[in-house]
Amino acid sequence: MNRYALGLGIGAVSLTALIVLSVLYGTTRIPVGDVLSAIATGLGLGGEPGPMDRIVFDLRLPRAVFSAVIGAGLGIVGVVLQTTTRNDLADPFLFGLSSGAAAGAVFVITVTGDVLGIWTLPLAAFSGGIVASLIVLTLVQSLRNAAPEKLILAGLAVSFLFAAITNYLIFSGDSRAAHSIVFWMLGGLGLARWQSLPLVLAGLALILAYATYRRRWLDALLAGDRTAKSLGVPVTRLRMTMFLMAALATAAFVSVAGVIGFVGLMVPHLARGLAGPLHTRLLPTAALIGAALLTASDILSRVILAPQELPVGIVTTSVGAIFVFALLIGGRKTAR
Amino acid sequence: MKQIWTAAILASLASAAAAEVTVDNCGTPLTFDATPERLIVHDMNMTEMAFALGLQDKIVGLTGITGWYKTSPTFDEARGDIPELAPKYPTVENLLAAEPDMFFAGWYYGMRPGGEVTPDTLEPFGIKTMVLTESCVHQHEGRPEASMNLLFDDVMRLGQVMGVEDKAKGLVDGWEAQLSAIEAKTSGVDQPRVFLLDGPADAPFTAGKFAIPDAMIDAAGGASVTSDLDTSWGRTSWEAVAAANPEFLVLLDYQTGNGAEDTFKFLQEHPVMSGIDAVKNEAWIGLRYEELTPGPANITAIEKMAKAMHPELF
Repeated sequence: MNRYALGLGIGAVSLTALIVLSVLYGTTRIPVGDVLSAIATGLGLGGEPGPMDRIVFDLRLPRAVFSAVIGAGLGIVGVVLQTTTRNDLADPFLFGLSSGAAAGAVFVITVTGDVLGIWTLPLAAFSGGIVASLIVLTLVQSLRNAAPEKLILAGLAVSFLFAAITNYLIFSGDSRAAHSIVFWMLGGLGLARWQSLPLVLAGLALILAYATYRRRWLDALLAGDRTAKSLGVPVTRLRMTMFLMAALATAAFVSVAGVIGFVGLMVPHLARGLAGPLHTRLLPTAALIGAALLTASDILSRVILAPQELPVGIVTTSVGAIFVFALLIGGRKTAR
Repeated sequence: MKQIWTAAILASLASAAAAEVTVDNCGTPLTFDATPERLIVHDMNMTEMAFALGLQDKIVGLTGITGWYKTSPTFDEARGDIPELAPKYPTVENLLAAEPDMFFAGWYYGMRPGGEVTPDTLEPFGIKTMVLTESCVHQHEGRPEASMNLLFDDVMRLGQVMGVEDKAKGLVDGWEAQLSAIEAKTSGVDQPRVFLLDGPADAPFTAGKFAIPDAMIDAAGGASVTSDLDTSWGRTSWEAVAAANPEFLVLLDYQTGNGAEDTFKFLQEHPVMSGIDAVKNEAWIGLRYEELTPGPANITAIEKMAKAMHPELF
């Protein structure tokens, strides 16, 4: 327990440091002193906020919080989905969620335009993701047993269907819209604002609370469906509810940050290596790693090409992949 | 000296009187309580509009210039030491750091629908966005087809907002006179079928009925073969273009490699396009990006096209 507590402590400290860095660095150079006074001003301790104050308090600070919250959320969603489907390759975007959300967003970009103002795109992406997940759930439910393979197969089918719809919309619409869509599908935290914070917080709270509440059942699932059933776990119902919760949380994240790849897929593996397979420890570890990974990636995405900004998905994928290479090589050595 | 002072006082009175200005912005009113003092402009074409109005002292930054194009010495001279805030699309942070009160850009001209920088995301920071009229079609249904008003109206709007309406009016009057002179020469003669091509591609990217080249080709005494294409800029097919058999080509010159020359070579080697009249007769002209997007360079570009299409008239 002590080593685990120490690990969590180190993780929390690194995450805090990353969040501080995320506020200090951006596409514009702002001296540290100005950043501190900007935060003071934002909290109502100073005078009228100037543009630099607003950059720090209304752009960078929410952005840092968003990257931590969304990273943590995606990490937990990944754990939950990998456990319930008993598939190491399960991730929030394998179940049609991302393609559904993308289709919703693309529909707004190419067909309707911002009819409902600033909330049009998030709303459309959210609905698209939920619709896709509901189709997956209905498909699986109409089968007699909701075996994990069926859930993945249904997810893949729905995913391809929505990808086809998206590509149709891109192709039939204005060609320049494609650029806008590519950017969105690679994810980015540029739209992080205080106003939309409740949405992503709700997503994180939902999946964190439910997964923590059902952590023993999730542990039981690790031993296989039959063992779990014999332990009194309603396996099918648990699988469906978990999937729905994961879908709601992911849709909330996607609606403001686009499709950020890799975090949900790889973070659970990293977390298992550190905390073991049981969920009491696994869930907080995955949340911390996810938060740190996404925050670090977001800092890099703003610094590499400054003053231009990279889509954060490019960074998470490459940073994550290198990390996994290192882990695989290191793991092989210790195994010998 | 006395006269200068009187003029200055009159000018300040005039600007005070005209303090509240409302202009159309993609069909919705955009109101300024005071003349913007700190302007950011995106892209070459819109920057050249602002330069034509002599707004350099109010421009605190440009975006989206060097990320894509080589600038001309004339442009660099007009630009002086105005900084570029982002070579391609800006972030909100890029813009906000320059403390602007107005941003002049368009959809896919610095802003993406649902993206980080839009009029809605800038509004909370006290930045008003003037949207390039040609680009309104991306967000609003029922826009009129392209005409040279896409240029004239935007220069007039910018002039009104920035308190230099007379200068804008003078520019537009001059351009209209230049265009009527061209029209006087080309009226009554056969209009060659014209095709505009962005560059070598598997499917041709061209200007449809909402993009300004459609109106420019018309003003130069030609007939665009893609004037029924229901988009501003979009893709059509080689088959459709070849079937229309264009007699004259407008090729976008991105000043990379050999520019438009490369595009023409591509067409000469293309199995279908090599057989059309324009390619066989080598009837084409290369025009730069800022000449084919709404901006002051449109007028000289129209003149160049007219001369190339109707050499006997000039």
